[in-house]
Amino acid sequence: MKIGIPKALLYYYYYPLWKVLFEELGFEVVTTKNTAKELVNKGIKISVSDICVPIKIFNGHVLELLEQDVDYIFVPRMMNIRKGEYFCPKFMGLPDMVKYSLTDAKDMLLTPNISSNSDDISDVRNYLPMCGILGVSAFKMRSALKKARLSWKEYRSLSTKGYTAKEVLDAMESGIDIKKEPEGGFLNIGLMAYVYNLYDEFISMGIVDRLRERNISIQTFEMFNENVLDNQLKGMKKVLFWTFSNKLLAVGYKFLKDVNIDGIIHITAFGCGPDSLIGKIMELESIDYKKPFMTIRVDEHMGENHLQTRVEAFIDMIYRKKVMSIKEANIV
Amino acid sequence: MKVSFPYMGTTVIYKKLLELLGHEVIEPPVPSQRTIDLGVKNSPEFACYPLKIILGSYIEAIELGATTLVTSGGHGPCRAGFYGETHSRILKNMGYDIDLIVFDAYKRDIMGTIKNVRKIMNGNSLFYLWETLRIVYLMAKSMDKMEKKIQKLRAYEVCYGDCNRAWEKVQKVFNDIKNIEDVKKAKIKSKSILDDIKVIKIPEPEKIRVGIVGEIYVVMEKSINLKIEEILGNMGAEVERSQYISEWIDYNLLPIWISKPHELEILKKGEKYIKEIIGGHAKQTVGHIVDYAERGFDGVVHLMPFACLPELVSQSIIPAITNEYNIPVITLPIDEQTGLANVQTRIEAFLDLIKNKKRIRIA
Ligand code: SF4
Ligand code: SF4
Repeated sequence: MKIGIPKALLYYYYYPLWKVLFEELGFEVVTTKNTAKELVNKGIKISVSDICVPIKIFNGHVLELLEQDVDYIFVPRMMNIRKGEYFCPKFMGLPDMVKYSLTDAKDMLLTPNISSNSDDISDVRNYLPMCGILGVSAFKMRSALKKARLSWKEYRSLSTKGYTAKEVLDAMESGIDIKKEPEGGFLNIGLMAYVYNLYDEFISMGIVDRLRERNISIQTFEMFNENVLDNQLKGMKKVLFWTFSNKLLAVGYKFLKDVNIDGIIHITAFGCGPDSLIGKIMELESIDYKKPFMTIRVDEHMGENHLQTRVEAFIDMIYRKKVMSIKEANIV
Repeated sequence: MKVSFPYMGTTVIYKKLLELLGHEVIEPPVPSQRTIDLGVKNSPEFACYPLKIILGSYIEAIELGATTLVTSGGHGPCRAGFYGETHSRILKNMGYDIDLIVFDAYKRDIMGTIKNVRKIMNGNSLFYLWETLRIVYLMAKSMDKMEKKIQKLRAYEVCYGDCNRAWEKVQKVFNDIKNIEDVKKAKIKSKSILDDIKVIKIPEPEKIRVGIVGEIYVVMEKSINLKIEEILGNMGAEVERSQYISEWIDYNLLPIWISKPHELEILKKGEKYIKEIIGGHAKQTVGHIVDYAERGFDGVVHLMPFACLPELVSQSIIPAITNEYNIPVITLPIDEQTGLANVQTRIEAFLDLIKNKKRIRIA
């Protein structure tokens, strides 16, 4: 039996867990190719026009899976991974949207509710409702989850060593260890972006590679342990309800305070409500902290040139700033 | 202490509550273009449209001398939960020294609620508070009943504007209430006001019924939704809203065993389409559409603040409900840029579609 996992949204954060889970249960796991223009267009066609780009892309990936004749498509309902916080409403309603806008997928969906107190979502209670559908015992589910958890922990621990989620996922997929150590560049840039925006080349247009090519080190939120991020927001009056948005904001504050970070780039997809809020907060805070900050808002039709030019200009600016400050330091 | 409240729907009810408790009440003006401008100008640009308008309404009340604002906090996982906090921060930044009393869902914050109730009680006895609440609740119930009638009659009024005038009168009648007896009298009086409205007789099968669903603020406040009820009514459609104040009280304030809230039933009907409560009123929205379809309504207008997260989810699902129940639904996103002419044209086309469908069915 084949189980399809769309390469979109939280694929980039939980694939190591879900993949091992289903494989341990004895199923074949299939995923989709990288997001391409055609796929996006298909997604757009079946989505309401005002909804954010990542959801449209997700729909495109589900369509793709339908063509690969899988038996089930895994679309978990992400509810919460912190007490008192939730996922963006679009995550909580995702299975419903897929079910009713992609009628062909209707009877193939696996949509367990995922609810947890921490990023580790491997608690068996989340997955028990699938036992009946998949015909596996609770015992088997439990032991599969044990392995799955280990795989996810490995993914997380590699991430926190400074590898990007993409590098880690690729390494784990191919079974080849990551060889090159992430090396320090002359400039350090903090990237604020959801994993599904940053590692979807269609949205981020390969910004990670572009920056690295120019000898720039990058940091992202998933390179930090969750408690490091949670601590950032301690004592602050809660501004947001949404877990992943809080992670972005937390890492944003971390970047602001970190003298080693030379600039911050916020990459956001068109139509994201939570991001418009975070972007605004950061815009104001970055002035106070005197830290260069830039937002790149990607829509379905954005050209690569545009991105290229803006990123180049930003890098040049912080480069000059850094050289100046080094010179000044030497004079004194 | 001069008390005011956000403008939403039938405000006589909040006014009465505060007045009977002995507060000096400042009525916020009916939201106008100025309210919208004030709200938009002083809110962060990313804020939801309802938050902006409510802010505008607060500012206008403060200009009239209000020093205390009473409101209910939103509930459920959405931005509405932060309205109170965001508002007080903005007002403070604007230099207003205001006490903002937010009644959150009391089940979540019992101590906070008790503290707030104390403030509002204004030294009255618990017994008197109970009496007052009873009066106001009964008043809300009967006013909602009257409003529902008006929303039907408007489709058939002989003289344009009769229904609006009657509704004004009814609100005045209820405004004079002092005790339970008065509520009964007001009911009778309002009934006769409504009976005086001259209407054209239309045969039952030709009547058109349209439901309005969506995010609570844009559904309840007509000055924000471009008076959608009147537009529909004047074009000959009976209207019913998904939310009325008394139902809101039933669901949010009263214990379940007393009120048997209608909203629970609606949520059950929505369950098939949106399984969990995902924030805002998305699940209610789909539940209400199903409800209207089952009750034989001819169409539904779905209102949402532009880019409202949960309502985008319901919007995505609506085509499936339309298919299954064969009920036309039109979605109207609303913000400060929504133009009246555009909405009117769209509604007109929508009603044409409904009428055609009906004709075919009857024939
Ligand atoms: S957080 Fe933003 S990008 Fe992600 S699903 Fe919600 S609206 Fe879309
Ligand atoms: S329900 Fe819609 S309008 Fe209300 S807070 Fe949420 S996003 Fe804003």
